[in-house]
Amino acid sequence: MKNSVILLKALLLSTSRKNIYRHTTDRKKRRKIISNTIGMLCLYLMLVVYCIAMCAGYGTYGMIEAIPATCALTISILAFLFTFFKTNGYLFHFREYDMLMSLPFEARTIAGCKFLYMYIESLPWYGCISIAMLIGYGLYAHPPVSVYPLWLILSLFLPVIPMLAAAFAGFLIAKISSGFRKTTLIQTILTFLFVIFCFSLRFIIDDLFRNEKIQATLESSSEITSKAAGIYLPAAWFAAAVTRHDILSACLLILASVFLFAGIFYVIGIFYRGINSALNAHAAAKEYTLSSQRQHSPVVAIALKEWKRMSGSTSYLVNCALGEILSAILGIATILIGFDRIIAVVTNGAPLDTSMLQPAIPFIIYFFIGMIATTVCSPSLEGKNYWIIRSLPIEMKTVYQGKMLFNMVLSVPFMAFSTLCLCISAKVPAVNTFMYLVLGFALCAFSTSWGCVCGIRHMRLDWENEIEVIKQSSAVAIYMLPNMFIVMGLTVLVVFLGLRISHILLAAAFTLTAALLALLSYLTVMRLAKRKSP
Amino acid sequence: MNTKAVLEIKNYSKSYGTDKMAVDHVTLNVMEGDIYGFIGHNGAGKSTTIRAVAGVLDFSEGEIIIDGHSVKDEPLACKQVTAYIPDNPDLYDNLTGIQYLNFIADVFGISAPQREADIRKYADIFEITDALGDLIGSYSHGMKQKLAIVSALIHYPKLLVLDEPFVGLDPKASFALKEIMHEMCRSGTAIFFSTHVLDVAEKLCNKIAIIRHGRIIAAGTMEELTEGHSLEETFLEADTDEK
Repeated sequence: MKNSVILLKALLLSTSRKNIYRHTTDRKKRRKIISNTIGMLCLYLMLVVYCIAMCAGYGTYGMIEAIPATCALTISILAFLFTFFKTNGYLFHFREYDMLMSLPFEARTIAGCKFLYMYIESLPWYGCISIAMLIGYGLYAHPPVSVYPLWLILSLFLPVIPMLAAAFAGFLIAKISSGFRKTTLIQTILTFLFVIFCFSLRFIIDDLFRNEKIQATLESSSEITSKAAGIYLPAAWFAAAVTRHDILSACLLILASVFLFAGIFYVIGIFYRGINSALNAHAAAKEYTLSSQRQHSPVVAIALKEWKRMSGSTSYLVNCALGEILSAILGIATILIGFDRIIAVVTNGAPLDTSMLQPAIPFIIYFFIGMIATTVCSPSLEGKNYWIIRSLPIEMKTVYQGKMLFNMVLSVPFMAFSTLCLCISAKVPAVNTFMYLVLGFALCAFSTSWGCVCGIRHMRLDWENEIEVIKQSSAVAIYMLPNMFIVMGLTVLVVFLGLRISHILLAAAFTLTAALLALLSYLTVMRLAKRKSP
Repeated sequence: MNTKAVLEIKNYSKSYGTDKMAVDHVTLNVMEGDIYGFIGHNGAGKSTTIRAVAGVLDFSEGEIIIDGHSVKDEPLACKQVTAYIPDNPDLYDNLTGIQYLNFIADVFGISAPQREADIRKYADIFEITDALGDLIGSYSHGMKQKLAIVSALIHYPKLLVLDEPFVGLDPKASFALKEIMHEMCRSGTAIFFSTHVLDVAEKLCNKIAIIRHGRIIAAGTMEELTEGHSLEETFLEADTDEK
């Protein structure tokens, strides 16, 4: 126990912005810490406002009793997803593994502390959701005073079970892949399969839930809570404890979290060293014979290096290529199931003329493809190897061109395949299909170059773990969040405009806009490449 | 003098998913007061052996015993008496030097006055006292290496395991480390280290093992192995014979 506290303290201190600020003499670094902290506080504030607004909506429609379960489900889903994508990198295959394992810590202590570190680091996000929803609930439901401390205490336990489930899933994937020679490849494939399974599961549950919700809303709002409880027990325990002061439910949530934590990390501890040994090992090559080699231009060489960097890291591959894979799956699904039926499922059977959605096809695809551009994190991913490219006799613009080329090579084929699938399935005319492909290309170019701008402007090389730049860097937040929201808005706008303007003309207008933005972003990259050095 | 084995490696083997063995049935003993050099080519299996001794690397074949405890079955007891310094120490960049040393001292339960005295002593020897308040990220490779060495020395290990300890150290620090190794050896600590620098090994070690393609091709006391020749000649000869 004492050692756990020491290790956890060191882990937290080693990534503490306050600690870096206090001890660094680099003014630029200090300014960066301040701006990052302000940025994070703004994001927290946005989340709080969003959650309170959601509660206001629930309150207005007389569904306030559903808030505790909604809060529990939101935190649980976020905790599960965040943890799953971070498990490989935080729990396994981390940089200081040798140093920690050589110290007198039990393997399960290291794994447990790494988990607790992930939990504490993400707690502000869950705290924002919980406190905001508590405020909303308090304003509309006027609960007794005792609900407030109970809510806050139980909120601390809410993310634990989904985080443990995600960590255990990550452990199983790591365990299975550690038995293979191509560990990274197997781990990536298993991770993708699991993500796709989770998405499908979420979709099925969501669909069931939505059908029931319509009816439930008409009958009584508490019905929603019971439906949520039927799906996910910890949410039910939380809701019951808060709404009905059910102490047994509160105890169940706390005890289940604690015992699951102890049990899961006991199991992980047994296999921990074996898994990490396998993940850190590089299989000894068989006798290599030097054959003919190929010469590439510097730009292509950088792009190829980026590909090797990506394919060698499960975290990089899963986080950055997820959009491409999902877009391909969507394409195949529309061919197999049919565009109309997919739309019917998504819109819950709303009576829609699906042809009016045709202009949105490039944006639907871009929603996935543009989820995260590899160019956003790749400058930061150089990390301590940044000296290699800096010492090469090439200009920085060549380096960024190589990174952008890699992102285009990765995204354009997926975009073209998925767009073609959707167009064929939706029986889009040939000229329109061509225009959508051109628009898709322009959007990919924009995503690539804008991603590169964000990546260079918020470059961070002093990371402890690559997940920090792939998943939770300011560059990723600044690129991804506006990108997703704007694309959702554009999808609605293009459908609306498509009712009045020719689809070809509309696609041409958006292509020109996207191309112009891509060009501007590209020029910004070139400008930054000349003057920006970390 | 009656000495006991602090480190016993018995038939240790390790492969990385192929038929090719990274380490093939290595057996050796490091006694109290030994300075045992482990030499070999790049990729010969030195680090793979050292990482297994440090309890970092998992292995299925063979047995490693430290101070009477099995690395496999009682890893904690082994680590409690072992200090390991990797060739390229990955320390927490965003901790200051003193924060890192305190972390290690806390883990080993070193009292405040004791740690203060030892940190002062070794940090002064390696001339990093002034930099202890800076973030480790701002340290050079050599300074990180020195910090890792100080962190290994402050808990008085029975077994000191070092992977290429002299790489990156300035001449003064190298000399200081060698002196400390001699001093530790006199007090009964066993030292097991890998190196490419044969001159260093020759002057420092009383025992040597030469590893090639994962197999020990020669091992014994310095006198037995060299038989009046230089270690360099002995190494090259053993290497040629093995080919």
